[in-house]
Amino acid sequence: MQRFGSRELVENVIRQNLCIGCGACNNLCPYFKSYNGKTTMLFPCTLPEGRCFAYCPKTEVDLDELSAALFHKPYGDDPLGYYRSIMMSRAGARAGHGLFQAGGTVSALMQFALEKRHIDGAILTDRKGIEPTPILATESKDILKCASSKYTAAPTLAALNRAIKEGFGNLGIVSTPCQTLAVAQMRLNPLQENTFRDPTGLVIGIFCTWALDFQAFKVFLSQRIDLAEIRKIDIPPPPAEVMEVFTDCATIEYPLSEIRQLVPEACSYCIDMTAEFSDISVGVMEGRTDMNTLITRTDRGQRIVDEAVSAGYLVLTDLPDENLEHLKWAADNKKKRAFAKAEEKAIVNTPAGTGPSYLRINHATLKKIRGE
Amino acid sequence: MSYLIDDNREGIQHLLMGNEAIVRGALEAGINVAAGYPGTPSSEIIEAFSKIARDRNIYAEWSTNEKVAMEVAAAASFAGLRSLCVMKQNGVNVASDFLLHLASSGTRGGMLLVTCDDPGALSSVNEGESRLFAKLVEIPLLEPGDFQEAKDLTKWAFDLSEKIRNLVMIRSVTRMSHASGNVKFGSLPDTNAHAEYRFDGPLLDMETGPMISMIVAAPELQHGPQQEKLKKAAQLFEDCPFNTYNGPESPELLIITSSACTLYVREAVNLLNIEDRVGILKLATTWPLPPNLIKRNLMRSKAVFVVEEVLPTLEENIKILAAETALETGIKTFYGKHSGHIPSAGELNPDIVISALTKILHIDYRPVEPSFEQKTAKMAATMAPTREMTFCPGCPHRASFWSIHNAIALDGRNGFVCGDIGCYVMGTLPGGYSTVKTLHSMGSGSGLASGFGKLKQFGIEQPVLAVCGDSTFFHAAMPALTNAIHHKSPFTLILLDNSGTAMTGFQPHPGSPFDVMGNTAEALDIEAICRAMGGRVEIADPFNLTETREMLNYLMEYKDGAKVLILRQACALSPERRGKKKFDVSVDESICIGENCGCDRLCTRIFGCPGITWDTEKKVSRIDTIICAGCGVCADICPAGAIQKKEVA
Amino acid sequence: MNSINLDRDPYSIIITGVGGQGNVMASRVMGSMFVTNGFSVTIGETFGASQRGGSVMSHLRISKKSSWSPQIPRGGADMIVSLEPIEAVRVLAAYGNPGVILLSNTRPIFPVNVIKGEATYPAIEDIKTAVKNSISHAIFIDATEEALKMENPILANIIMLGAVIGLNILPLERDDFHKAIAERVPHDKIDVNMDAFDLGTRLVRQ
Ligand SMILES: Cc1cc2nc3c(=O)[nH]c(=O)nc-3n(C[C@H](O)[C@H](O)[C@H](O)COP(=O)(O)OP(=O)(O)OC[C@H]3O[C@@H](n4cnc5c(N)ncnc54)[C@H](O)[C@@H]3O)c2cc1C
Ligand code: SF4
Ligand code: SF4
Ligand code: SF4
Ligand code: SF4
Repeated sequence: MQRFGSRELVENVIRQNLCIGCGACNNLCPYFKSYNGKTTMLFPCTLPEGRCFAYCPKTEVDLDELSAALFHKPYGDDPLGYYRSIMMSRAGARAGHGLFQAGGTVSALMQFALEKRHIDGAILTDRKGIEPTPILATESKDILKCASSKYTAAPTLAALNRAIKEGFGNLGIVSTPCQTLAVAQMRLNPLQENTFRDPTGLVIGIFCTWALDFQAFKVFLSQRIDLAEIRKIDIPPPPAEVMEVFTDCATIEYPLSEIRQLVPEACSYCIDMTAEFSDISVGVMEGRTDMNTLITRTDRGQRIVDEAVSAGYLVLTDLPDENLEHLKWAADNKKKRAFAKAEEKAIVNTPAGTGPSYLRINHATLKKIRGE
Repeated sequence: MSYLIDDNREGIQHLLMGNEAIVRGALEAGINVAAGYPGTPSSEIIEAFSKIARDRNIYAEWSTNEKVAMEVAAAASFAGLRSLCVMKQNGVNVASDFLLHLASSGTRGGMLLVTCDDPGALSSVNEGESRLFAKLVEIPLLEPGDFQEAKDLTKWAFDLSEKIRNLVMIRSVTRMSHASGNVKFGSLPDTNAHAEYRFDGPLLDMETGPMISMIVAAPELQHGPQQEKLKKAAQLFEDCPFNTYNGPESPELLIITSSACTLYVREAVNLLNIEDRVGILKLATTWPLPPNLIKRNLMRSKAVFVVEEVLPTLEENIKILAAETALETGIKTFYGKHSGHIPSAGELNPDIVISALTKILHIDYRPVEPSFEQKTAKMAATMAPTREMTFCPGCPHRASFWSIHNAIALDGRNGFVCGDIGCYVMGTLPGGYSTVKTLHSMGSGSGLASGFGKLKQFGIEQPVLAVCGDSTFFHAAMPALTNAIHHKSPFTLILLDNSGTAMTGFQPHPGSPFDVMGNTAEALDIEAICRAMGGRVEIADPFNLTETREMLNYLMEYKDGAKVLILRQACALSPERRGKKKFDVSVDESICIGENCGCDRLCTRIFGCPGITWDTEKKVSRIDTIICAGCGVCADICPAGAIQKKEVA
Repeated sequence: MNSINLDRDPYSIIITGVGGQGNVMASRVMGSMFVTNGFSVTIGETFGASQRGGSVMSHLRISKKSSWSPQIPRGGADMIVSLEPIEAVRVLAAYGNPGVILLSNTRPIFPVNVIKGEATYPAIEDIKTAVKNSISHAIFIDATEEALKMENPILANIIMLGAVIGLNILPLERDDFHKAIAERVPHDKIDVNMDAFDLGTRLVRQ
């Protein structure tokens, strides 16, 4: 991984429409701020190398280096990444109740980790109106409040950086795949700072095929309804192909084909569907709105899942083979499309010395992804 | 030194500023009413009047704008009193509408328009010329050539005004108004005056009729007589004691000059030691020119050099007379602006005159040894970094522009600020984060913003903002805001309310609870006015950075009509804040991130308050407690909490 | 009045510094001291917008004859009094000559571009050396430090005035200063101003 600074971050990520607004560069310093879903640099910074650049999941992502750090081997060709097990799951009886997106696995695991002091706080995504707002939760009730998916990209990691600044050192994080990548890069201490310590206690990745651009989504909705009346937004599992917006008096459906227009370009370069660099990844179960798909990847993740099950926070069952097949197929599709797009833009493995490369990956795996 | 101005001992000498000398001259002429609008370099005149107003039975006021000031002074003249109005050159543009009409109706009691021009734009946004107005509206123009004359000519001008029954313009310049010299005092008249406005006489009767400017389709009735007044002035100028000639009977070169240039010319002639080669015709009456006097002097020499600042106004008027009298005065070689010997932009100084004279007269002149010059020039270039203008330590505008800059950047739609006239013109510079993108005349920021706001129909998506100060608001921004509200033009007017006319030294304005003489006054409530006009009004303290920024972002997104955000915080130099620190501020070196990732010197490199300095050895920021005004704003921008503020008990 | 005669007519003095240092006050006080002694004085001042962090300069022309240009010609200064060291350097280059007498405060006021890191401010020792290499009469005084000891940094300008008079070059005396300052400051501030003035005089005479 090559190290650069804010200038390259602005030039190669923000100006190139690669920024997804994950928040990883926010609150590290006074310069990068997120507003209305957009990340902006307020004033120029002169440093040639910085954490903003190093943490960004849209530039100089060295997949082999990340793989080696977390899984002790180079980046492989399984579309789901490295993992120890894949199961079906839902929140157990001991977990509190919330408006879960699906089985409530994510909220249940975070509650368990916090209540049992595996972590001192959790970085989650709440909402104000339709705007996703990152928070630091230090009590179970706050975790429950954050349940359910916000369909727009969110600067969740801004809250992580703020919490670290405030002195938190053992945090749980619920992150989309791009955010999970950024967290994995943070954990490498890319600038080799003496005072560095790994701020994570548990990283739960959530599956993601795309997120919406907040600003575009806000404009879309505000042209159609009064934003103040919106109570809830949901995308029911396939084959519904609609987004449902609930107001006090009605439920309005918008075809997903229309909604997909609001996906930012940045998502089309994203190679990861299942948050491959997490401890645990969670998605919805096809055909079972009350269940989740649960991928356990690391020792740390495995320990917490096991303990959560025996403590009654989590219930596990086996995942049917055809679901696993389909999941792999979907993840593989996303990865292939994104690599093709990135290679077209010539931002994969660009030679050192020619500026930043979006992705760095070993040739063997790249060839397999290409289907060669 | 204004308290010396009404010293009643005849013959005593005091060191007076040019502006103060003008005031003394008016006192000796028995002035009754003075009105003006503050503007550098003219502001000391009304201030000086205000200090002695009570003792000398004078009414002085800072008017809402220059046009109103002229109207207030004209009313006094109509009622038979002596009056003057005073403004800087840009103010004459503002007053010019009334000026044209006033020159047409004429005046009764002696009345002066005192304008202080600013060649070189030392404290202006341009170096516009007011002399041309005298020609345009056909009134006499007088220009004092030193400090004594600033007094004496002023007194003389009142008599002139009454003799011709019209307004007389006195033009000073920065180097006269703001320079000081010895002035020998004359006697002061007693201060009884009685005002009465007479209007029963026939229309157009200067003494008893109504004062009107109305010559619909009959120019001969009023315009003709007005021009007669000007001719009479030219006649009186033939014997004006302030037009002088110094030099040999027939010099090699005749220099014609006026105003502060007189002093530069004298200096140059003295240094070059050419008193026997050149003659200096110094004119105090520069419009209309006294034709015989000019003709007599033109006959002295074949070569004429006109020295004046900015436009070749005097030069061209002289050339017309030279052409008209060419048979008698002969063919001349002219030097000046048209010949390129004197620049038409920027102020003059003795060195420019010296360099022109050395070329015209082929003189070799070196003020200092070249080796010394080179050595010290190199020293200055390497050792004396320039001082760019910036907001004062603790200035509310710095905080305001910080928030405006950040709000626009976060908003992300390439919004911009239309600027206006006041200290906040520095919003165009790095000291104001280069936030301001248009800058013209008083109030025009709001007018431009009103116009930009209506361009939505042509696809403009940029949020539009305007700034304006409290004094500027009353002066000229109100009509623009009225326009915007009426036409539902979506823009955000940021009213930088620092409770006074800060740029020019804290003059009261219609929002102040007292007037220039210290009497209580009706303070107009800006907030209530804007609300009554129909604008959406919010108020914030610019020192509260988060609240201000959030409010700005909210208003920028709020689509309907004109919005007003009043940012209220007193100027750092205001009487209530000057010398009083709210906070003791210091930097905790152990916490300061300095140049490292996480800060990169935000406070010193970007924020730029002169109260914070950078310790290049220790690599930490620190507060210079002598300069810091204790506003505490920097403590709120520091990402590390290294800048700490403690409320002063 | 003392018996000193000025060696030039007009005698030209520049008082320079940075906005807010009390430059204008110092020049007015000195000007009226001369007027009291029967001189014709012209003072040219640059203030206004430049007050805001910019360089401020007063040009004093002292004459037995008449008013002179409020702007001193290039190389024409007989004496430079500077409340800030790099302003002394700047003025020396524009108005100095090998015979000029220079008196400067040592306390830097950093320009914004220095604070920002776009320009560097020289070490005070380097300034002293460079100035002393180009003219023979240069005196540096820690006026602000001394004023700080009196717990009022603004008095630096008065300390500098005391130092100027202490040089015994100008036909002005302590009593002239007393008269001039008494006309300008509130009654209870006269003593502290006199103390600052005397301190300045002592500093140059040491
Ligand atoms: C934008 C987006 C796209 C998704 N796409 C898919 C998909 O294609 N396939 C799939 O199987 N699953 C997808 N998911 C994941 C799925 O919606 C659920 O989040 C996941 O199954 C966990 O369910 P749960 O009941 O355990 O969640 P809950 O217990 O309800 O918890 C939800 C958690 O998600 C976090 N969160 C909510 N919104 C965001 C956001 N915008 N950014 C970051 N974190 C957020 C909250 O902090 C909360 O902790 C997506 C989620 C998001 C936010
Ligand atoms: S993707 Fe994230 S880290 Fe990269 S620039 Fe955007 S907000 Fe910053
Ligand atoms: S390099 Fe560091 S200080 Fe500079 S913008 Fe990036 S994170 Fe901020
Ligand atoms: S902003 Fe704070 S941390 Fe940064 S340099 Fe200034 S004092 Fe130090
Ligand atoms: S507190 Fe900070 S911002 Fe305010 S005047 Fe002092 S140094 Fe400047």
